[in-house]
Amino acid sequence: MNKENINPDPGFAEASDTKLGALLRESRISPALPPRFQEGVWRRIEEAAAPVKATGGIAWLDALAALVLRPRFALATATVLIVAGALLGVREGSQMAKQDAQARYLAVVAPNSLR
Amino acid sequence: MNRSLVILLGALVLCAVLLSGSYAVSRRVCQNCMSKSVSDLDWLQQEFHLSDAEMARIQKLHEGYLPKCAEMCAKIAAKKSELETALNGSTNVNPVAQQKLAELAALRAQCQAQMLQHFTEVSQTMPPEQGRRYLAEMQRLTLGFHEQTEPSMSGSAGHEHHH
Repeated sequence: MNKENINPDPGFAEASDTKLGALLRESRISPALPPRFQEGVWRRIEEAAAPVKATGGIAWLDALAALVLRPRFALATATVLIVAGALLGVREGSQMAKQDAQARYLAVVAPNSLR
Repeated sequence: MNRSLVILLGALVLCAVLLSGSYAVSRRVCQNCMSKSVSDLDWLQQEFHLSDAEMARIQKLHEGYLPKCAEMCAKIAAKKSELETALNGSTNVNPVAQQKLAELAALRAQCQAQMLQHFTEVSQTMPPEQGRRYLAEMQRLTLGFHEQTEPSMSGSAGHEHHH
């Protein structure tokens, strides 16, 4: 069985689609937009796109972590710690060496049985 | 766990490792360097800032004293052995053990007197101020002046002996 063409004229079909579209647009009631609607939409988009801000006690922790991760700060801190540790170690080491030397002298001149 | 907190804790641990590591290494190196090739008398020279001439005189006194000290030590060791024999198997302090104790005490006193005499002679070879300091330090260290054993056990410290 052959397929029957209902609207054989293409010009007629196009004109009726346009009319139908216009009728549909007229029948839909669109409410009036609130004032500064567009500005509000953009603000909400920006807020959604921005990173979540830290609040309260977390803020200083983040700032400190960021400071610690700075190469210059890390290098300076490491240098200070190494130098401080070395100075303390040298002081303690010389004290211990002095005590060892004193103990060695005492062991020779004053045996333990007399002390 | 918060990322910042982890970073800070890690940094703290790293700081502690750096500080303690450099402290331990430098202490070890310093102690080894200073203890290397140290003679028995080096402490005197370092502590009392003695000249080479003073050290030479002290060295001579030291070499003269050591054989006497060794002789006294041998006598004390022999007397201790005798005391041990006297006390062996005994359940009380018998007269022989008492006599050995007295002899041991006399030997120790003799040895201490000889030692103090040596310290006095050494102190006299030093500059007066250093000599006084040396003598005081040696008396403090060898005669137990710094120890609080007897005062702590006497009645003055609140402890009473019950005889």
